[in-house]
Amino acid sequence: MSTDARASLPRAPLGADADAHATPPSDGGEGGEQAPPAAKPRGILASIGRTGLDGLGGVRDLYSIFVRTLYYVFRGRRAKGALAEQMYAIGNKSLFFVTFTMGCIGMIMVYQATMQTKKVVPELSLVGASYMQLVVRDFAASIGAMMLATRVGAGIAAEIGSMVVTEQVDALRMCAADPVDYLVVPRFLASLVMTVALLVWAGVVMFSTGMLTGYVVYDIELATFANPVMVNAGDVVVGLAKCVAYGAAIPIVSAHSGLTTFGGSEGVGWATTRAVVNSSLAVIVLNFFISTAGLMAFPPVK
Amino acid sequence: MIRTVGLGKSFGQPVLRGLDLVVPKGTLYGLIGPGASGKSVVLKLLAGLVRPDVGQIFIEGQDTTKMGELALQKVRAGIGFQFQNNALFDYLNVGDNIAFPLRRLTSAGADEIRQRVAERLARVSLPGFEPRMPGGLSGGQRKRVGIARATITQSPLVLFDEPAAGLDPVTSRKIFDLIRDEQRATGATAVVVSSDLDNLLATVDRVGMILRGALVFDGTPDEARAATSPAVRQFVHGLTEGPL
Repeated sequence: MSTDARASLPRAPLGADADAHATPPSDGGEGGEQAPPAAKPRGILASIGRTGLDGLGGVRDLYSIFVRTLYYVFRGRRAKGALAEQMYAIGNKSLFFVTFTMGCIGMIMVYQATMQTKKVVPELSLVGASYMQLVVRDFAASIGAMMLATRVGAGIAAEIGSMVVTEQVDALRMCAADPVDYLVVPRFLASLVMTVALLVWAGVVMFSTGMLTGYVVYDIELATFANPVMVNAGDVVVGLAKCVAYGAAIPIVSAHSGLTTFGGSEGVGWATTRAVVNSSLAVIVLNFFISTAGLMAFPPVK
Repeated sequence: MIRTVGLGKSFGQPVLRGLDLVVPKGTLYGLIGPGASGKSVVLKLLAGLVRPDVGQIFIEGQDTTKMGELALQKVRAGIGFQFQNNALFDYLNVGDNIAFPLRRLTSAGADEIRQRVAERLARVSLPGFEPRMPGGLSGGQRKRVGIARATITQSPLVLFDEPAAGLDPVTSRKIFDLIRDEQRATGATAVVVSSDLDNLLATVDRVGMILRGALVFDGTPDEARAATSPAVRQFVHGLTEGPL
């Protein structure tokens, strides 16, 4: 297929007919007469409307991929070793990155938070208990997921996107292999398992480095810091629910970016950027909804 | 038989404008036309990889434009497709690439698959290439692996998109001979898009020319060579003077 026809980049909806929705040429032709001023507001409105419709189309495509993924989780044909391979790529290969970044963030958070706390109350015995609750209920999952969105999300989008532009996805479809079944499902399942494991580990690392910071910088005893008095079952449930939700959202959002790639290597670059941005947005939006639901279902200990 | 009626497709700009094409069953059909005239788009439309904006596509009497994705999957199972850029799975070795359609579309056992892959590779003059990775192959070798994969299931319809692009004349001739021998052996309907007119016209039974989104010529290679239409004549004979 001529790539020229696809030259205008940003985005196309997913599916057999993705090509059909290539961005139309801009209204302002080269060398033509200037448009009358009255036409401008209409142009802006049209642009807003088009952006809105594109957004809605994107949400519909995301939903479609999610539903098809769930269908193929139970009814699909998995290639031998594909799941283990993805678990290794998503989980094992992210371990150092997650450990390092979450360790640093844990140190910075405790250092800064304790410094601020000291200005208000001199007593620091509940810093650790409060920090533990925050880590369990929110920080480990949400900050860890943002880190994973950059590494895992970009990887998934680049991998699938380059398969799209080299027609490998079309070749899959010619062999009765639905790309969602063949490419997305193994990544979805692997991410679901490994994200939960990594985020639990991220919480442990984050808390440990925070505890060491409290001990070294502020002389807070380790036993005093590691005080679980403020953590209840509700915090654990909310934290784990976030881990599962992020583990599901990152591969779906990133795969959607990959599958809607077009325009060659430049398109793969765009897809990767979109995957990171949209996965991070998904984490934030899910955090908002799960936190709100969690506050209603399991009010935190005061 | 393949028949398209009033096929239209646009990618921002119209590419096909009411294409009416008939490819009789068991024919080796060549599709020619200037660059960006929509030849590859026609192949993708026939395979159901792209949906038309308007018009109908009949494959063995079934209108594929009205089918959902699941029904299309069944139609595609009867189509072999050699992609312009080969579209080899870069994470699979040559053997697994060629075996992929067999594993997905048939219930062939491991031994049979191994045997058929070896036979295909021998057929495209690449015996023993099973363990090689696509990244380590030359352009011509990749083309031949792509053809081996497209033909391994012996589908009743095979679509070849520029099977000889970028190849030297000798390899190009071999590729066309291979396509013709395969088509004769299986009796399949085959559509070949190629810019290598000398080899194409020496190989196919019929040829069609697309110009500005419509079919402007349909006939035998001899009729194409003797065509009086200025555009067809200019294109077939590679003349610089003319309407193109």
